[in-house]
Amino acid sequence: MTSKFWFLTKQSLNKKVKTKWFLFANLLLLVVLVGIINMDSIISFFGGDFSSDIEIVLLDETKESKEIFEQNLTFSKETLDLDNDISVEVYSGNLDKLKEELKENDKIGIVLEKDNDVYMKAKIISDTKIDTMSYQLLVQALNQTKAQVAMKYANIDPIQLQKITSNVEIERLILDTEAKTDDEAMSLIMGTVFPTVILPFFMLVIFLVQMIGTEINEEKTTKSMEIIISNVSPKTHFFSKVLASNVFVLMQGALLLIYGGIGLLVKTLFGTSTSSSSLTSTFNDIWNSLGQMGIMDRLPEIIISALVLMILSFIAYSLIAGILASMTVNMEDFQQIQTPIMMVCLLGYYLSIMAGVFNGSIFIRVLSYVPFISCLLSPALLVIGQIGIFDVLISVLFLIITIWIMIKYGFRIYKVGILNYSTDKMWKRLWNATKQKG
Amino acid sequence: MLKVKDVTKYYGSHLAVDHLSFEVNQGEIFGLLGANGAGKTTTFRMIMGLLEPNQGNITFDEKPIDYTMTDKIGFVTEERSLLTKLTVKEQIIYYGILKGMVEEDILEKLDIWLEKFHISEYKNRKIKELSKGNQQKIQFISGVIHSPQLLILDEPFSGLDPINVKMFQEVILDLKSKGCSIIFSSHQMEHIELFCEKLVILVKGKVVLSGYLKDIKKEYRKKNILIEGDVSVSELKKIKGVLDVTLLNQEYQVKIESDAIVEKVFQAISKSRITKFVVEEASLNEIFIEKVGEAYDE
Repeated sequence: MTSKFWFLTKQSLNKKVKTKWFLFANLLLLVVLVGIINMDSIISFFGGDFSSDIEIVLLDETKESKEIFEQNLTFSKETLDLDNDISVEVYSGNLDKLKEELKENDKIGIVLEKDNDVYMKAKIISDTKIDTMSYQLLVQALNQTKAQVAMKYANIDPIQLQKITSNVEIERLILDTEAKTDDEAMSLIMGTVFPTVILPFFMLVIFLVQMIGTEINEEKTTKSMEIIISNVSPKTHFFSKVLASNVFVLMQGALLLIYGGIGLLVKTLFGTSTSSSSLTSTFNDIWNSLGQMGIMDRLPEIIISALVLMILSFIAYSLIAGILASMTVNMEDFQQIQTPIMMVCLLGYYLSIMAGVFNGSIFIRVLSYVPFISCLLSPALLVIGQIGIFDVLISVLFLIITIWIMIKYGFRIYKVGILNYSTDKMWKRLWNATKQKG
Repeated sequence: MLKVKDVTKYYGSHLAVDHLSFEVNQGEIFGLLGANGAGKTTTFRMIMGLLEPNQGNITFDEKPIDYTMTDKIGFVTEERSLLTKLTVKEQIIYYGILKGMVEEDILEKLDIWLEKFHISEYKNRKIKELSKGNQQKIQFISGVIHSPQLLILDEPFSGLDPINVKMFQEVILDLKSKGCSIIFSSHQMEHIELFCEKLVILVKGKVVLSGYLKDIKKEYRKKNILIEGDVSVSELKKIKGVLDVTLLNQEYQVKIESDAIVEKVFQAISKSRITKFVVEEASLNEIFIEKVGEAYDE
């Protein structure tokens, strides 16, 4: 019987892996992942430019604002975190000539005009549209220039002017030393780390449910289940499916990691210097944010907790998918059973994405204990410090209890379900199966 | 030897099989007859261990049937139970290994069976690409690839053309000659008459008739007389004990209550010009229809 178990497991796995579809799907995933990671290089390769030079031709009719404008351009570039090289060329001709000249190139013309009423007016002239960030940069610099010119005209002395226009000095103090949450760092982590960890896990759960459900449904609808179950016990059959589907998703998860690694390698080796440095800078920002929030110190416990919860949840999802699939007699039934599983998983996904919003409420803490959701929500809350390791242990305990219940009682449904071709409604069949003796 | 002893099976409150008993000896072909819903498939499922009887027991070679025994049994289900996305070779390897065989042995035997059914060219073809008849052959091969000691055939001829039916008949008789015990269900009585030495007729799970086919026919009192010649149907119908007279292919079929009526019929037509007068036993089909009909009336 043991050899038949391993044979069925191998057969299930081969059926999934040794297919053109698996090869195609993984090639697609590889291309998409490498593509996403190297998106900036790809866009640059096809003529796009994230950091094109901004060449400004300045016609300063005020005759006194050039330096102020240049200083403000530099300041705005820093505040907007732009990588573009900016050059300013002073134009000595008149406006009409400038317009003619701008038609022949991609330069941006800025005209600063003196105004008795509002101190200063400006024109931004270009042959084509200007991208949003560049336009924002120019508007910000012009506003600041006007403010400084205006203050100068209001007879505010340079020292006073410097004090008015300089940035406010901010000292950040956190009185609660336990709560190391920091909104700025948190938003970076929520926006980058969570989607890259949670989205693949969500995808893998879908793969898992699909795999075990489709296989059991196929064996039932083709009536080959009778032959299989007359040779191996339902228990052997069930656990071979559970093992095969879990091995498959772990393998697929590892492949996703490898594809991600390949994407980063490609970026490092072939990416543009700007994109590589931007990647390094993003990593540094994330790293600093993790450190700032105290996550780096807790990284081992977070990784172990997440892994344990993920593996246990994979097992729980495969058990529930297998049990429910055993009651199906056609593809429509299979669609029906998938929906609630997907809804629960989706709920966990959205809750974890929005974990920071709940700000440590009891409600979200309790939800993090709920099996099937906990694998997504619990690590998220742990990362942002809203729950501790003790809460994670409660989630793990609940998951283990759920798995035990599904093996003990859910298996009854499976045993009855796999040979049940009743035409009753599926949920009625399921209910009746729970009443059968084990 | 397969022994089914006093087996009863309920689905909830519905009685599917009611105190069923029979035995199948080595090299014997046994027929399990019954209309739809009579309990045939339930009986097969109980023999295969897929269902547990509520009462009674089933043994093979004096041992209860469990997963250590099922490798000795072959099962060909009524509906095609093949994984249609697999190739013929993959499918037979799959079921063969579940029967405890090794791949080498399976492939060796598969070639022999494919040759026997004249479908060697389909070995690497996907099952879904095969015709229904050829799928039926693959299903049959999957049930016998491990040379079972007991073979269960649930409606093995459904959907087969006469040429393929003949091919199957030869193979089944060959298996019997090699000592394989075969349990057989079919709606077509001519198949049962051709193969089965022993049979059971089930109606709503109850046994209405059982025993050796020749004894059943012998004990069945009603006979048919086939007459060719100039006879008066109205005169024949007047004879007490004549149940019916019908004209079939220019010969009269006279159904009579028992052997004792034969002489009366013969005397009644003795002065007519007669070219044929044959007394024959009732067909299994007639016996089946009458027994099943009676049981339904009850």
